[in-house]
Parts: sequence; structure tokens; C-alpha cells
Amino acid sequence: MCEYVLLCEDSMEGILSGVYEAYRFKKEQGIESHEVIHLAVNNPDTYRLFTDYRTVETNYENADKVINTIRSRLGNEVYYRLCLAMVSCFMEKADAVYHTIVLALRNNDSLIMDRLGEDWVQQTFKYARASSNELGHMIEFTRFAELEGGILYAKINVKHHILPFLMPHFADRLPSENFMIYDENTDVYGIHEKQKQWYLVQGIEIDSERLNLTAAEKDYQELFRRFCKTIAIESRTNKRLQTGFLPLRFRPNMTEFQSP
Amino acid sequence: MGQISSDLASENVVCENEIKLELYSTTRKSIMEKLEILTDAAKYDVACTSSGVNRKGNGRDMGNCLAAGICHSFSSDGRCISLLKILMSNECVYDCKYCINRRSNDVPRATFTPEEICELTMNFYKRNYIEGFFLSSGIVNNPNDTMERIYQTLYLLRNVYRFRGYVHVKGIPGADPVLIQQTGYLADRMSVNLELPTAEGLEKLAPNKHRKSILKPMRQIQNGIAQGKQELALYKSAPSFVPAGQSTQMIIGATPESDYQIMSVAESLYDKFALKRVFYSAYVGVNEDKALPAVTTASPLLREHRLYQADWLLRYYSFRVNELLNEKHQNFNILLDPKCDWALRHLEQFPVEINKADYTTLLRVPGIGVKSAQRICKARKSSALGFDNLKKIGVVLKRALYFITCNGKMMYHTKIDEDYITRNLLSEHEKLPFDKDGMTYKQLSLFDDGMENAAMFGMAHEGKGTAYV
Repeated sequence: MCEYVLLCEDSMEGILSGVYEAYRFKKEQGIESHEVIHLAVNNPDTYRLFTDYRTVETNYENADKVINTIRSRLGNEVYYRLCLAMVSCFMEKADAVYHTIVLALRNNDSLIMDRLGEDWVQQTFKYARASSNELGHMIEFTRFAELEGGILYAKINVKHHILPFLMPHFADRLPSENFMIYDENTDVYGIHEKQKQWYLVQGIEIDSERLNLTAAEKDYQELFRRFCKTIAIESRTNKRLQTGFLPLRFRPNMTEFQSP
Repeated sequence: MGQISSDLASENVVCENEIKLELYSTTRKSIMEKLEILTDAAKYDVACTSSGVNRKGNGRDMGNCLAAGICHSFSSDGRCISLLKILMSNECVYDCKYCINRRSNDVPRATFTPEEICELTMNFYKRNYIEGFFLSSGIVNNPNDTMERIYQTLYLLRNVYRFRGYVHVKGIPGADPVLIQQTGYLADRMSVNLELPTAEGLEKLAPNKHRKSILKPMRQIQNGIAQGKQELALYKSAPSFVPAGQSTQMIIGATPESDYQIMSVAESLYDKFALKRVFYSAYVGVNEDKALPAVTTASPLLREHRLYQADWLLRYYSFRVNELLNEKHQNFNILLDPKCDWALRHLEQFPVEINKADYTTLLRVPGIGVKSAQRICKARKSSALGFDNLKKIGVVLKRALYFITCNGKMMYHTKIDEDYITRNLLSEHEKLPFDKDGMTYKQLSLFDDGMENAAMFGMAHEGKGTAYV
């Protein structure tokens, strides 16, 4: 029996194009089961024997068709969880999402993400949970600084590419502010203009000289640092507990852990 | 903001010239100093949660709220920083023995103006430092004056600064009910501190406070919330009254109540006053006083931890206090968490079958929490679950395995015997939120004598050491 691996781009659109292609390919070749088709987002380190590797070009139209099918037949909640899984940093995510979709579409199961007894669902659940946990952390730990001109600027370094999920949170919270969040790992900016829809931009150069803090900014940073220091009860000092809640990897971008 | 910045700027100038600093601080304190004094004064207040209310942004004004609450940072004691927790003023006329801000203490005093608090809140909020503010206050002049200032601040923040984030304010016992009512329409959560678990304790340590005057505003807020819900059902646009509910806190270890007494008080607060949360604050000695434990006494952190665990059992696991403790068994086991302790004393109810037991039964299994129980109930609809599934769902198997079966089989061949299970559970060291890292606690050992343990956790003053084992 031959197995097929479809290689797709590591993005939501890339993976969804892969899902479309997998269905099309299965029909075209008259393959009996989805179990022999796999999706992968990276070229494998070692190629397996008796396996047919194919590359799938990202096609926004096809991705949209898959999205529409998922949303209309499985509901927005399932779509949201799948998206979270697709932005996670795990290598096997494309395959897990693809087979979860196959399982779900069999009987339009909008409760698919509850069926943790299924291995594919279990995996997708795990990936979505990882992204969702980091999203939760970034909602808490993202720190804005005010630049000259009144723009709020934040830099983040995230494992999972959760910026598209982070932006709506802040857009709802700070509708009348101009703000931008820069994800250093993917080199993507999330930009929100006052009272407008937010958007993402990749690969733009921003003149670092234009990232000057206002004078008041430094004062507020100092106020907050002192606040955090003063609020702690000395006789209860417990760094291990603190680190458990606030892992060290987040601290380089957080105001209260920088020295002025 | 202009105001604050210029204050800060003047502070910087002052730092270069020491003589000027003296003059400056005697006439008027800078924002920086005030924030330090009033944060320091508020830090013993426990509640810093921003949970209980969902409020989406309105597309124009700053702020929204998430029911789950958001912690923005964690201080070096491991407690969450969610709200700008400050006192409005620490110039208090009361003389409660346990309080750092009591009248008879010589500590630096300061008072914020409503504008200063609003500026700080707005500027911290937009930088994503905080979820909102938590405003309490020492009693300035009298309860009415104090409550009125809190109301003014809140009015300014909501109506002039148009802030939609989270606000938690204290109801001041003894203040005019009208003021409390008005404040309630602007706040998300209100709390009136019970301070001490019993009226006798309160009388002894807080001579200016009375149980009755604490319970009165608590009842008023409860009625307000109930009425508000009714009005909301009738008119959609009715202003919501304390939508995130009411909380309170009590100090643990300053007075000799038993865990049983404390939990019974908490239970009746949940039942009769419909409180959302009761917070427990391990007593930290800040004042020398003959009515108080010595300042050097270690805070009863383990005891506080057990009370919170039990509190969770009351609120989310449908336990009643009488199941956990009773007249004979007055205090929690220091070696085992309250749920394990309960399960070991009720082995006749175990093992339970994961694929059949109802939700509330699952909740009572050590190692299964609310989330795992919910996931189990959903997942088993489509296929029977085995132990490997449970592990992935998040069940702590090393604790649960003695109490459950999957498809009729236990995980290992284990005895259902109290001593045997206790021994095994104890060998899996419980993860406690504190340890030797800067703390005075030593590793718990089975061979510790009960009295010694009790002393170690600052609970010995009752002379009932053996009750803890």
C-alpha cells in the first residue's frame, strides 16, 4: 500500500489549501481512505520508502472554500479551535487538523473537539490548547510603551503565531488608540489605527529612530515598577511561585522586569 | 497626565538638591511617593481578582472586561497583580490592632485626589499593566466622608474618563446606605471586609468596628444585586448593580478560631449573603501588641492554603463544610489536601467507574478537577475512555488511580485500604505553592510530631496540636 504526503506552506491558508487538495486528490485517484494521505508543513528530514511526496501551492480560493465548509457545517467554535491548532509550533499540526476535519465532516459533528477519545482530536486539542495558553499569557503580559506621536508600541516573542488572535483583544479594549504589536519571531506587525479595522503586515522596516519614548512614558514605567515592588509582602517572598505563574521567557519584554 | 508628569519632573529636579527635597516633601508629596505609601498600605488586602463580569468594548471608550479575569503580573511573593490596588488614603482615624495603618502607628501618611487616581488608572490601563483599580481606604474623618470620596473617584473615572475596565471598591461599614447604593451602580465588584471570623475576635482586635455594621452593607449589596438582576430582566438598559458580585476577606491566625469555625462562617456567607468569593489572609505580624501573636510568628501559609482548597470544594465541587470537618475533627489535615482527606475517610464510596459515574461523583475523586470532569463527561459520549485517555485529558492519575476504574478495571492491582492509600499518596509529595525558597518551612516528614508541625505553621496557640494529624 502506498502512502501520500502533501507538503504545504506553514500558515493557516497553506494548511487549508492542503486539506482541499487532499480531498481532491483522494477523489481523483480513487483512494479508499484518508488514513493513507498525510499533510506536512515542512520537508521531512528523511524521506520514507513507498511514499509519494507532493507539494501543494497555497491557494486562497481553495482555503476559503474549506473555511466556509467548516464554518457552515461545524460551526465557528470548531473553526476557532482548528485555527488555534494551525498557528501552533508543532510539526504534526497539519496532519492532525486535516484528519480531525475528516472525522468531523463525516457526520457534521459540531462537538468534534469534545471527542477526546479519538487520537486525531486529542492531538489537535493539545495543539490548540498550547496556542490558547500562550494567547492567554500574551493577553496578560504584553506591555505597551507610548511613543512620540502617541502610538502605543509592544514587542512580543511567541512560540506559537498567535498575533492574529491577540489583535482583536486589544482592538476591542483600546478602540480609540493607535497601537502596534510586533512579533519578533515572525517579523510580523499587527497594526491598529484609531477606530479602524486592524491588520497584519510582514517584513516592513521601521526606522528605529522613530521609536522614541515620550517623557511621560519613562515616568509611568518607573511608577509601575515601584508599584510592583511595593505591592509584594516581604515575609511571603516566593520566587518559585512567581516563576510558575510568570515564566522567565516572557520577562525580557515586560516593563516591570527591566531596570530603567 | 500633565499634572502627574510635572509632579514627577519636579521630583527629578528635587533629587539633585537635597535641601529642597526636605522642603518639598513636607509641603506636598509627589505622585511617586504617594503611590509607594498607598500601595504599601494596601498590600495586605488579598482580593486582586478581576473576574466575574463580561463587558465588550463599545468601539469608542477605553476598556473591556473578561469574566475569567486577567492577571497582568505576579509580584515576588507569587501573588497576582491584576488591579491597581491602592488605598485612597491611609490617614485613618481607627485603631485596629492588626493594621499597619492604625491611628497609633507612626507611618508616612498620604492621600490621593480623585484626579490622580483616574490618571494613574487610565495610563496604566492603556499600557496593559492592569485590568482596572481596586480602591480601598483608611477611614478619613468618618465613614461617610470616606465613602463619598470613593464614590467621587469612581464617578469621575466612569463618567469623565469614560473607563470601561474593571473596578473593585470597598464598601465602608457605617457609611450612608445611599452612598453605597450609588457606588454600587458604578463598580463591578464591592467588598466589605469581615476582618475576623468571629464577632469576639473583631471586638478584641478592632475596637472601632462592629460585626453588625459590617454585615449591614453586606446585606444591602446582596439585596441590591438581587434587585438589579430583576430590573435588568425587565429593562435591558437598567444600570447594573455590582455585576461581578460581592466578596469579603478575613484574617487567619490572629485569633484562635478553628478551621471548622472559619469554614462554617464562609459557608454561611455563601449561603445567606450570596457572596461570590471569601478570601482568607494569613496573618502577617506588623504591629507589636499584647492582643496579637508575636511579630516573629510565621504566617500560617499552609493553613491559608488548606482553607482556599476547602473553599474551592464548597464553591465548585458541591461539598458542604460538615462533610469536611466536624466538632471532633476541627482542623484540616496538614499532610493531605481536604479532598484526599475526605476521600480517605469515605473509601466505601470508591472506586467509581469513569465511564458511568455522574459529574458530581467524578468531581469528588482526588486528582479529577472541574475541567477534567467536564471533559470526561463530554468525551465518553462517543467512546469509552481508558487510563491513557484520562492522562491526556488532564487527570492526575498518580492520585486518582486508587479511586477509579475504567471499564471495570483498576489501573494497577491496588488495595482499597486507608493506610495503604495514605502511604502511597504521601509518598507523592504534594505540590505546595511555597517551599524553602526564602521561606521558613522545612520539608514535611511523616515522623514529625503533630505538635511540632502545628507550631511550625503558626497554629500552636490553640493547644490542639494533635488535631492536625
